[in-house]
Amino acid sequence: MKTDVQIEICGSAGEGTIAAGDILRNALAEAGYRIISFDAYPAEIRGFGKCVARLRATTEQAYSLKEKADVLVCLNDEHGVAHVGDVRDYGAVIYEAKSLAALPEGAHVSAHLRPAQIPYPLQIRELSERATGATRSRNLVVLGYLAGLYALAREPFLRIIEAKFKGKGEGARMQRSAFAAGFAAGAATFKLDLVAFGKPVQGQHSVMLNGNAAVAQGCLDAGIDNFFGYPITPATTIMEKLALEMPRHGKRLVQTEDEISAIASTIGAGYTGARAATATSGPGLALMSEMLGLGIMAEVPAVVFVSQRGGPSTGIPTKTEQSDLNMAIYGSPGDAPRIVIAPTNVEGCYRCAGKAFEMAERYQTPVIVLLDLYLSNRYETVVMPAKSVFEPDCDKALSKHDLGPGYKRYALTPDGVSPRALPGTAGGMHVVTGLEHNEMGRVNEGPDNHEAMSRKRHEKLRPALQLADFTHLKRFGDEGRVAIGLLAWGSTFGECLAAMFRARTDGMRCAAMKVVMLQPFPADAVAAFIDDCDVVLVPELNYQGQFAQLVQSETGRRVQRYNRVSGAPLRVEDILAQMQALHAAGNRRAA
Amino acid sequence: MTRPRHHVIIGTGVAGNQATRTLRQREPDARISLLTLSALPFYNRYDLPRVFRGVHDWREFLVDPPSYYEDQRIELRRCTQVVNVDAQRKTLALEHNETLSYDTLLVASGGRAYLPEELSEYRDLLDGFTSFEQAMTMQRKLPAGGAVAILGGDMIGLDLARTLVDTGHRVMLVAGKHTFWPHVETPEQRQALLGVLQSMGIEIIDAEAQGGIASIQAGARGFAARRLVFGKGRECTADVVLPSFGLAPAVEFMIGSGVAIERGLLVSPSLRTTDDSILAAGDVCQIWSEADNRYRFFFGWKNVRAMGELAARNLTGDDEAFEPAQDETLHIHDGMTIHSPFWEYA
Repeated sequence: MKTDVQIEICGSAGEGTIAAGDILRNALAEAGYRIISFDAYPAEIRGFGKCVARLRATTEQAYSLKEKADVLVCLNDEHGVAHVGDVRDYGAVIYEAKSLAALPEGAHVSAHLRPAQIPYPLQIRELSERATGATRSRNLVVLGYLAGLYALAREPFLRIIEAKFKGKGEGARMQRSAFAAGFAAGAATFKLDLVAFGKPVQGQHSVMLNGNAAVAQGCLDAGIDNFFGYPITPATTIMEKLALEMPRHGKRLVQTEDEISAIASTIGAGYTGARAATATSGPGLALMSEMLGLGIMAEVPAVVFVSQRGGPSTGIPTKTEQSDLNMAIYGSPGDAPRIVIAPTNVEGCYRCAGKAFEMAERYQTPVIVLLDLYLSNRYETVVMPAKSVFEPDCDKALSKHDLGPGYKRYALTPDGVSPRALPGTAGGMHVVTGLEHNEMGRVNEGPDNHEAMSRKRHEKLRPALQLADFTHLKRFGDEGRVAIGLLAWGSTFGECLAAMFRARTDGMRCAAMKVVMLQPFPADAVAAFIDDCDVVLVPELNYQGQFAQLVQSETGRRVQRYNRVSGAPLRVEDILAQMQALHAAGNRRAA
Repeated sequence: MTRPRHHVIIGTGVAGNQATRTLRQREPDARISLLTLSALPFYNRYDLPRVFRGVHDWREFLVDPPSYYEDQRIELRRCTQVVNVDAQRKTLALEHNETLSYDTLLVASGGRAYLPEELSEYRDLLDGFTSFEQAMTMQRKLPAGGAVAILGGDMIGLDLARTLVDTGHRVMLVAGKHTFWPHVETPEQRQALLGVLQSMGIEIIDAEAQGGIASIQAGARGFAARRLVFGKGRECTADVVLPSFGLAPAVEFMIGSGVAIERGLLVSPSLRTTDDSILAAGDVCQIWSEADNRYRFFFGWKNVRAMGELAARNLTGDDEAFEPAQDETLHIHDGMTIHSPFWEYA
């Protein structure tokens, strides 16, 4: 039996909602299920604000979360009520059987259940108190209940709990007790819903990572030497993971005083030949934009991971958005070409992170890896390579003939990439400046020189579109002429792919293309795809349609936009509805 | 603009469901809340023996699809227990600590399985058969060709016994005064009825003749799950022991509400309690009978459904008296089969 179960756990900040989701996804992954998981939480740490942990456990490849949950666990009524509608017919709703506070009419979850949803009232608080003497283990009670109700193996849960609470004294024992109490209650409950877990996939050596963890692993496998960062949601966990790992490998990580210092340090380290990176979000990228220009002008390898969130300004720090695309591509003074790539899933985060270092070295330029909160925080089970797949050194070979008194650090070469001598290289002395310079690096504001150097900085990036071992873009679905094409980038692609497969099941000829390389833009391939489609829809999480604008300006083709800025990922159903509407309109025109 | 009336119905049995249907027909704009302890919408409990014929999907037992409640704008609240009724304030206190107000209240909470006091200490060793969950639990416990001991009988239990015999199980009926509940039979009728049951393949054990049930024991590993020991020493074993002694009205939550209660809620022939806003219907109420000069229960699904319909009509302007809709007596056909008004639900 195939498994495809989506579970949502809903509660307030401080109730252990996210922690419960974390244990659940780890336990299910360890049991052998494939996981896609994404949590939503407020900017505030504790006391108010809604947290929702969502995960989808499958035995077959899934590309996104589902529109409807199979199981909803409500840790409190207030937030639970708002999410009951998320549950499919014959799915399960687990909720606190008895409120401590007197509830006004209609405030209990049970008042909002649809007749086809199955209620499971549970004495969550009471079970926690009996098991541990306190109510704070309610999240473990519900995890136990889920495991008991759906006959899931206990051992993975217990191992995860043990690991999570290791070294916390009585904590682990208390949590195990709470889990056991919930498990007993779940096992004793008559299951009426139509949710079932089949046998998990065995023998799959996958790990579960979120996008940020995958980025960090990609950095480590690519041999990162230095990381400089300043914390900002949703990028912070990249630095947190690297802070744990880099010292073990003799590498250095510095938390700088701000983002300007972080990018400056990254460029400084890159200048010395180190593989260096920083990570930030939109507001941080804004601060970094001037220094990015220096990196471009000085032709210094540097990697900048940008995880987008709702903006502008401080915006909505804990909600997802794809609205920094323009800033990532264009955001610096002057003509400032750089490489911008955007992974579309967690495995892509790993590959893009590693490849970013290679590209930065190969083309001597800053590379921006563009994620967003949805991808940064989304967990997926991925199969990781047994050893690093990244090249440790991509610097252009430097020959003796290049060095000497006439060393031209910025030599105009056929491919635009100049021989780079690292500081201390005998015969490689040169000037580095943010001012326009000549081939020697000396300041030169002459018109011909500026023309030549501008061309060099742009044209040297073109070959990045031909890199053999990098997926710049990829088409899925029907080959040849199709009615509807979906064109997407970043985290949104998973939902587009799921929508495309649904539409195909419904008989629509359609295809989807993901574009990973955003700058330089693979215009020819994208134009060819657009030419194959009667209509192309570009769904994205920004108001302006930034990717659609990019596509239109680069290809000269017209596309249809679908833009949402709700702070939540796009919904497969909504994309599908857009596709169907366009398809119907096309059919009407044809008729 | 006048606020639509809020009718609250407690219980999703035959009476409650019929009342809901009639209320919606008569007051299209009213707010209707239907409260039940069950996790499922209204389903046909008379049909539950089908679980032994391989019907294990609860949706097969539903009388109306779940969408019916949404289409009819009926607020179905499941797993909801009423703990108190404040007739003066017209509010219900719900177990989960919510207060629900009403304009009119129909109590159709039915009855729960009655267990004689002397058997209560064996409660954990007994099964039930009054809900889908209980029926399925029993079905899962009972191996193919396994044995069931039915204590008491009552017409629901006997209907189950018929199915169990048909499906190849061994059925022992520990007969007593509740065997043909709620029917009242003469000693002669009783012997004839027991004879028919025997001819149907049910083993009859006369509880009184065997000295009553002395104890019920859990079987040791490798043996049948339960052992019944009678006062005079006879023993029998079974995989499942099912007490079936009829129903006791579920009225605990009405205590303190101010309405009159005897065993059930006491209602006038028009099903009104002593509070004008509260009516009752079904197995929970005792209706004043002029003919008998006493309050009495009326059983059988046709009677219960008629009560539900009448209560709804009387809640919406009528004032009619209950007329029994069903012959409550048992008949033996051809000396071979028993005809009970409880056995054929439609």
